[in-house]
Amino acid sequence: MDLIIKIAFIILAPLIGGLVYGVERITRARMQRRIGPPLLQPFYDVLKLTDKRKMIVHSTHAFLGIVHCLSLWFALAVLVLGGDLILVIFLHLSSTALLILAGYSTRSLFSHLGANRTAISILTYEPILILIAVSVFMQTGSFETASIFYFGKPLLLKLPLAFVALLLILPIKLKKSPFDVAEAHQEIIGGVELEFSGIFYEAVYTAKWLDEIFCYTLVYLFGANNPALGLSLVLGAFVFLNALDNSSARVSYKQMLRFSLTVALPVAFINLLLSILQHTA
Amino acid sequence: MLVGLLTAAQLTASLYLVKNNALESAFQLVIDKLSCFMFLLINVISGIIAVFSLKYIDEEDCSEFRKKYFLSILLWFIAVMNLLVSSDNLEYFFLFFELTTLASFLLIAFRKDDTSVKNALTALWMNQIGGLAILGAIFFIKYNGHGEITLSNLLRHSSTGTVLMPLTLLSIAALIKGAQMPFSKWLLGAMVAPTPVSALLHSSTMVKIAPFMILRLSPALKDTPIAWIIIGLTSFVFAASAIVALSQDNFKRILAHSTIALLALMIMMGVVGTPVTVIAGLTLILFHGISKCMLFLNAGVMERVFHFKQTSDMDRLAESGPFTSLVLTFGFMSLLLPPFGAFIGKWFSIETIGALASNERITGALVIVMIALGGAVFSLLYFKVLGLLIARTGVKDRFRFEKESPFYTVTIFSLLALIIGGVLGLPFLMTGYFSPVASDILNTSVATRIEEWAIHVESMKLPIVPMLVAFLLLPTAIAIGMFVKFKNVDRVKEYTCGEKIDYSFSALYFSTDKATPYLTAVGILLFAAMVIVASLI
Repeated sequence: MDLIIKIAFIILAPLIGGLVYGVERITRARMQRRIGPPLLQPFYDVLKLTDKRKMIVHSTHAFLGIVHCLSLWFALAVLVLGGDLILVIFLHLSSTALLILAGYSTRSLFSHLGANRTAISILTYEPILILIAVSVFMQTGSFETASIFYFGKPLLLKLPLAFVALLLILPIKLKKSPFDVAEAHQEIIGGVELEFSGIFYEAVYTAKWLDEIFCYTLVYLFGANNPALGLSLVLGAFVFLNALDNSSARVSYKQMLRFSLTVALPVAFINLLLSILQHTA
Repeated sequence: MLVGLLTAAQLTASLYLVKNNALESAFQLVIDKLSCFMFLLINVISGIIAVFSLKYIDEEDCSEFRKKYFLSILLWFIAVMNLLVSSDNLEYFFLFFELTTLASFLLIAFRKDDTSVKNALTALWMNQIGGLAILGAIFFIKYNGHGEITLSNLLRHSSTGTVLMPLTLLSIAALIKGAQMPFSKWLLGAMVAPTPVSALLHSSTMVKIAPFMILRLSPALKDTPIAWIIIGLTSFVFAASAIVALSQDNFKRILAHSTIALLALMIMMGVVGTPVTVIAGLTLILFHGISKCMLFLNAGVMERVFHFKQTSDMDRLAESGPFTSLVLTFGFMSLLLPPFGAFIGKWFSIETIGALASNERITGALVIVMIALGGAVFSLLYFKVLGLLIARTGVKDRFRFEKESPFYTVTIFSLLALIIGGVLGLPFLMTGYFSPVASDILNTSVATRIEEWAIHVESMKLPIVPMLVAFLLLPTAIAIGMFVKFKNVDRVKEYTCGEKIDYSFSALYFSTDKATPYLTAVGILLFAAMVIVASLI
């Protein structure tokens, strides 16, 4: 039964992601006292995109975009099915790698800038994710996410600082303001996404939804043994991210790097130390 | 000057030892499973390099005699390496250790210009310190009364406290060979040599002595205070060399920094010395050897066929040499991402250090931070190089692989086949190859088995299905991506805000090389700490 729910979740992930994105756009609009688009707007966008004239720079570029989406979906599947956290982090890294490669594969200015910035943002969040994974291991005794689901207490109470560290890097990962340098529409016109269009942009667009689902699943893990707690954490993170996105201005990539290495990384490190001490005590 | 002093010191020390030693009974060569493992690595990879260099050196601007000289030194080097990994007697070990130093000196100085000679001398004196450390180890074994000066005898006495000093000295020799900071300069300087030499030094010989020696000593080193200092040092080197590499432009220098970092990881795995880490170390040694060899041979091709050495010149490679660009992309991916062997080594290391951190709390936590940070910096580094490698316009969507000399194509294809074969055959390699070697090193049986679509190595579980899917998604998809063609799709130019402008690409750099003196200082401190701790206990 449990397994069926998980598999259904994985298969429906793009649809759920689309809905989340729809809700997100309404929430953001309401925060700005606008009405915002209808809930199903992301899906209308998809319909519109499929109908557009097909244009590509070259086939490799378009193809890598599609593989990026597929590999992200796969990383999500491994995460939800209870795979090894380190493996999941690296699978996610390889899907990002494909996007970066796609960005670099054209000779487009903005695409290159975006790919550069995406590569730098890997430096800002990957070490922290690994530290969080090791702290989780200290608590549950296993790197597998399956063990978190069956862990007696919610991880949030055991590892509050890890949750804080995760919240600090989520805006980077999801390209939300103030850390949306990798996308920065007003500055580098969407970065890596720029050269995708029509049905091929559709793949990258869906990948964005999947990334949201991936991140919120990570948040959910902190309350995984109690669905109500898990869902409220996800809701809290959702409101936090959108409020932050609405209320802050973009920082430069150097400021982002400095923030991550001097604030988020120490938080994750202290959390790791505390969990090691707890483990031995 | 320095070289002369060190030679004199070595000569005196060895004369002294020879004079005071009774003649050892036999020529002690011992071939165990670890030696066989090294034989296979050394001879297959170096064999491929030797074939490659036939063509490479033929295009070198030098006399016929020098060409033959180069090849004979190369083959001699490979032979010495084989003897080194099978010698048990420390005096022979010293002899072969210094012969590899000599061979690499001759090869680095091959081009005879000022930088070559200078860098070759650097390599010589640094490695001579290593040789001196081995002589010191022999001296301590003799005068602490442990009997035979063999490695196996040393391991038998591993429980006694006085054995720590020789162990430390041998580890120092290993760390110097492995170009760990502050001794990383010799490997970076070795880049001036013809490219097959770099390939040889980096992949199958020379630097691989370091993890080999540490693996040999690992049962004795495990859990000693020295082991923890080495773990600290190597984790520091892993992160530091990644950070320094960010400022580099020379393609071979970037590769050299990544070699130093991965060597640090291998040494760390050897020192930790649990079954899982030893297997991780072996995996890293093998797959790093293959991948690095392929990357260096491609660097040679780039020099010879496309005439460039700097990464900043590479931004037309995808158009002029799609095959080289594709293979390089593969090579970099194989050092970083699942499902390749180097990734598995890194994965094992993070998880086992995590498990160990419960004993050595703060050190353990710091080591994890270093590995996580260094790993992330390396992904940034590799991506920025890849970015230059694969950029091309849409004008030439249909392209053909360039034709190169068969010597180049065949060697690179065989390495590519080894990498892919290694990934697909990983379950069998784990159970049938790494695990027997590891159990031979540790003298305990290492439980590896394939069960329920996963490889179990002791407590580690390595699922096969995600790895296979990752194989389909990553290397296969990139290869397909080069050939795939979408029909009935219009081509457009890149977007430049409607302007027509000329621009060129370059990768991002961080001016991190200013930090090098500080990093070297930390390295020296850690080396000093090793000697001091060993002499206090």
